[in-house]
Amino acid sequence: MRWILHISFAAGAFAQTPDFQRDIRPLLAKKCVACHGPDEQARQAGLRLDTFDGATKARAIVPGDGANSRLLARVSHATTPMPPTGPRLTDTEVSLLRKWIDGGAVYTNHWAYEKPKRPVGNSIDHFIQAKLAEHRLTPSKEADRATLARRAALDLTGVPPEASGLAPYLKDGNFEKYVDSLLASPQYGERWAKIWLDLARYADTQGYEKDNKRSIWPYRDWVIRAFNDNLPFDTFTILQLAADLTPDTSIDDLIATGFHRNTMTNTEGGTDDEEYRDIAIRDRIATTGQVWMGQTWGCAQCHTHKYDPLTHKEFYQIYAFFNQTADDDHPSDRPVLKLTSSASTLVMKELTEDKQRKTRIYDRGNYLTPGDEVKAGVPAAFHPLPGKAPKNRLGFAQWLVSPENPLTARVTVNRFWSRLFGTGLVESEEDFGTQGIGPTHAELLDLLALDFQKDWDVKKLLKRIVMSATYKQSSDVTPELLRLDPANKLYARGARFRLDAEVVRDQALAAAGLLSGKQFGPPVMPWQPDGVWLVVYNGDNWATSKGEDRYRRALYTFMRRTSAYPSMMNFDAPNGETCTIRRIRTNTPLQALTSLNDPAFMEAAQRLAEKALKESPQDPAKRLFELVLLRPPTKAEAARLSLLQRQTEAELRTQPENVSKLLRYSEVLYTEDRVATLIPDARTGAREWRFVTNDPGVDWTRTAYDDSKWGAGPGYFGFFTKPNETTPIKTAWNTETLFLRYVIELPEKVPTKYKMPARTNSQFDVWVNGVSALNNIFERSGHYEYSLNDDGQKAFRPGKNVIAIRVARYGTQSNGQVFDPGLVASLPLAETKAARTDAARAAWVVVANTVLNLDETVTRR
Amino acid sequence: MNERMQKALAETRRHFLSGCGIGLANMFLAEAQPKKPHHTPKAKSVIFLHMAGSPSQLELFDYKPELVKYNGKPCPDELLKGKRFAFIKGVPKMLGTPYKFKQHGQSGAWVSELMPHFSTVVDDVTIVRSMSTDQFNHAPAQLFVQTGNPRFGFASMGAWATYGLGTENQDLPGFVVLTSGGNNPDAGKSLWGSAFLPSVFQGVHCRSHGDPVLFLSDPEGMTRSVRRKTLDALKDLNVMQAKQAGDPETEARMEQYELAYRMQISVPKVMDISREPEAVHSAYGTEPGKTSLANNCLLARRLVENGVRFVQIYDWGWDHHGTSKRDDIQYALQPHIKTADQAVTALLKDLKQRGLLDQTLVVWGGEFGRTPMRENRGGAEGAFIGRDHHPYAYTMWMAGGGMKKGLNYGETDEIGYYVTKDKMTPRDLQATILHQIGLDPHKLHYPYLGLNQRLIGPTDEGRVMRDLLA
Repeated sequence: MRWILHISFAAGAFAQTPDFQRDIRPLLAKKCVACHGPDEQARQAGLRLDTFDGATKARAIVPGDGANSRLLARVSHATTPMPPTGPRLTDTEVSLLRKWIDGGAVYTNHWAYEKPKRPVGNSIDHFIQAKLAEHRLTPSKEADRATLARRAALDLTGVPPEASGLAPYLKDGNFEKYVDSLLASPQYGERWAKIWLDLARYADTQGYEKDNKRSIWPYRDWVIRAFNDNLPFDTFTILQLAADLTPDTSIDDLIATGFHRNTMTNTEGGTDDEEYRDIAIRDRIATTGQVWMGQTWGCAQCHTHKYDPLTHKEFYQIYAFFNQTADDDHPSDRPVLKLTSSASTLVMKELTEDKQRKTRIYDRGNYLTPGDEVKAGVPAAFHPLPGKAPKNRLGFAQWLVSPENPLTARVTVNRFWSRLFGTGLVESEEDFGTQGIGPTHAELLDLLALDFQKDWDVKKLLKRIVMSATYKQSSDVTPELLRLDPANKLYARGARFRLDAEVVRDQALAAAGLLSGKQFGPPVMPWQPDGVWLVVYNGDNWATSKGEDRYRRALYTFMRRTSAYPSMMNFDAPNGETCTIRRIRTNTPLQALTSLNDPAFMEAAQRLAEKALKESPQDPAKRLFELVLLRPPTKAEAARLSLLQRQTEAELRTQPENVSKLLRYSEVLYTEDRVATLIPDARTGAREWRFVTNDPGVDWTRTAYDDSKWGAGPGYFGFFTKPNETTPIKTAWNTETLFLRYVIELPEKVPTKYKMPARTNSQFDVWVNGVSALNNIFERSGHYEYSLNDDGQKAFRPGKNVIAIRVARYGTQSNGQVFDPGLVASLPLAETKAARTDAARAAWVVVANTVLNLDETVTRR
Repeated sequence: MNERMQKALAETRRHFLSGCGIGLANMFLAEAQPKKPHHTPKAKSVIFLHMAGSPSQLELFDYKPELVKYNGKPCPDELLKGKRFAFIKGVPKMLGTPYKFKQHGQSGAWVSELMPHFSTVVDDVTIVRSMSTDQFNHAPAQLFVQTGNPRFGFASMGAWATYGLGTENQDLPGFVVLTSGGNNPDAGKSLWGSAFLPSVFQGVHCRSHGDPVLFLSDPEGMTRSVRRKTLDALKDLNVMQAKQAGDPETEARMEQYELAYRMQISVPKVMDISREPEAVHSAYGTEPGKTSLANNCLLARRLVENGVRFVQIYDWGWDHHGTSKRDDIQYALQPHIKTADQAVTALLKDLKQRGLLDQTLVVWGGEFGRTPMRENRGGAEGAFIGRDHHPYAYTMWMAGGGMKKGLNYGETDEIGYYVTKDKMTPRDLQATILHQIGLDPHKLHYPYLGLNQRLIGPTDEGRVMRDLLA
């Protein structure tokens, strides 16, 4: 038990001689440094306690002489102790301070700001086992082949292994060959790209109020290719931060600069573009600091960092590196690199010398109160820019990956380690500063960092970790070990943690045989519940993709910042607002509801059941387990699944309609495959609508209203001052308003998912049988399909239905105005007669749904 | 599960609760358990009625007869110099309200004729006419009110409240979001996000149609009884796994599935307003099955009644610029305030009558105010009348939950342009709300990126507004 306290409470009273880094620095940081630290604005009484010079100058600390050190007197003052607010120091803390001062008050540098030192010992297992031995613990045995196969595949590729790679390994146990095949598979790049895209705050929209679409997916594809090609991490860094400044770059390299073009663009009315350009630059600095150096530089934008070595001025010196790009929060997201006739992407472009901006320190971070001008430069606490490095973004990128940089390699290997073990050697992956959490295995971190720095070879690093005995251990844990090391900080067992959001989904699709192997290209829209996208001043619809695009890997799903894909959000995926260094895993009922009930998961269950029945008609339960977990069920497990199947079948025998639904899930889901035109618009054969141009008063939207005195005419309605051949006006309308009515007959089983394709440059509202179905709709380009709202969807009845529309001129419309409506909907599912064996098959769908929800299924073990 | 494992699990939970930052396994359970507040709370729940788009204080609460006198006169230079507006160009004209105001109740609160219902409850309400923000665009201003920062990436007030206090009802989410008006608010779901707080604290968006919570209903073709059978099987299989693997997370997941199953019953039940008596429907103006502010007001009452900690209502469509009939302060504002006035007042009366108002803090307002000038989009007045975004002065009100009854707080100048007395900011509002539910706004924090993140931001400018407290 003693060692747990040792870890959790930083040794505390157990230590003989206090260690500055372990015991004193955190204490000073917590209690003193906010007012007596590096921030000159906040500094009280001119005293700083974070440096030896500062603390000794004022005799706050007299080295070797606690009794005469004023610090001790102040913190233990009976009536007005320091700190003036918050709890006073405990007796233990005071005694620690005294011992440290008596021992000479030695200040050492924060570990992470010292370059890594090559330790004695050359393997992961050496350092892990040495520490285990210290705690009289032994490693766990190696996990069995099936477990290891699934673990390595999900970790390295994010999807279950292909049978072609799996079978030989299960047979011969050649793990290295198996790992090599995973690292060489195209899915490897997709897995690690998604992880990188969290850091890049990648999304397919601009953010803020309108959150319009933007095309930056070629950057996403660049990252996938970079991982698959095993681009060295230093080159990977330099291209993303400064390919536009790097000599001899290709078009492809320029795409990499999309990394920092993932900042948001605000197109809301009246915004000052400079304000949001400034916000984007700060985001880039904060993101760069976190991603490469585990530094919270964002803190220094308003004032000198309270704990870490970055002054207010230095923040703006870094700002100066990033301040010279041409992007300026323009709605067009310029500069845009055109790749093909249909593909373009956002890139960085350095301003020419004569157009370069001056950078000034912003008082309290406010861009409206600029202070002194500063030149580009790196923080003084770190190494200088490399000798030949230019004083621009390129030089800054080179500085990040310089061998002198104490942090980049450590931070990077730690992140890879964390994705493979669930937690980093430094748990606070985003903060290696003095407020972060120190490494559990400092020497191992340094070893991996130093070796990684030699060639920046990511695949080699991953392989090294995955091939270690530490990684291969079984994750089963005894209550005893769990008590001793609940968070597995000592690695006496393999890691066991919930799969990432994307892996949970992709695994289900893969097991069902649905997952598309198609790579790259524009984002896709798999099935999503209706009504999730309701964005202000932006009528974008979620238009479900066709064919295999419905089943692409999750990283190709369209990412809208203000309305992310819901099942991903439920499993802790970020929405691309800000750089997310690590996802915090939660365990919630919403996750249970998602994997139990989300129709997309049900579709996977149905296909999975079909596959198992086809491949193993005698023993589908066994096959279900193998497809999902890569192992056969135990006897008890198989028996429990069979019981569930029998119980369900018995119930379903009396429910033919449910049987039919369970067996036709794809058809239930993709209503767009059964879309029919109910009212053709001007393009598809215009129909006559009843119309008037003056307000018809009350009740005109209702079914019973008598419109027999109204005029009649087809679309297009409107007028043009100049002839317009593509939009032929059939019914003249040149007043401010237009009121339309149309009667349609519907069958006994009414269609669903009504949409109105409409061409307009006005505003309009729609009612169905008197119920408001579309409200305050604005112009979109061409005939745009507006989904009716929920009330409108539900208002349709068998028999006679009235569609009523009110159109109102928007603005002056001096060149003309136009309106043309139509109506489309999805037809109901055709009835089929259930066969006698169908209840049994449908019951297997239910069993498959259960298997997809097992704890083991959503867990990497 | 054997006793030792139970113990291990309990230990993991304690570990999390003690804030060591590991063992997040049982987050939902941790949340589900009510936590100890910093001090004795005045309010158990909060209902925040956010009128997205920002209703005009000059048409509703802030009576400015002088402005009426200036109606149609060009706006003086000094009010325009150095100012940025969303749409106003050049020199706009002053715009007096077309509506009549009267004083009401013991408190003598000035309220516009547009709110005949609200006028009857002014003696239960604290009206703050001196709100002032520094954001003049919807998304940043909404984010500032709700997350304490005008940018994306910060945790919302409801997330902070549930992080700080947990929830009272284990079968319902602690933080529920209801939207109406045809659109989500401008800043989207980030307004109820958890950002750096664990995602378990994010608001659960309950929809008034279809599943109130996404994926709440059993999939098509699966009956309740079959679902129960699958959960029983799942439990048995997970127990086998737990025995083998020994991971307390498995046990935690099993509990989440049971909670999900209970939510499938409890959420639709609380969201179903159809069984409310007719008198309630006519008071609120509710129509079961509709998406409306009225329905959401009634739902809010039902939710707090059932122990939901934070109910956040967004009603979209208060952005009355006057570019067309649709956003004109006569044609559009009138019908909108008519239904809102009825519903919101009914909510206050209903809470009071049930004895819930004292323990429920109700907050009403937009993200900023509207200009005393008439908007002239494109540099010229159109046929319709409206006002641009105005951050310097606007009105909000609070009721119940330990607020003073019948207080008129703060003043603006004679045309309602600037606050002249008792300025209150969104930070003050946040500090006050947290304080009323028993949390110290200065202490409530979460360490992230080297900083103790707080709803009220890193500085201490946010004040608990003691003058407003009973």
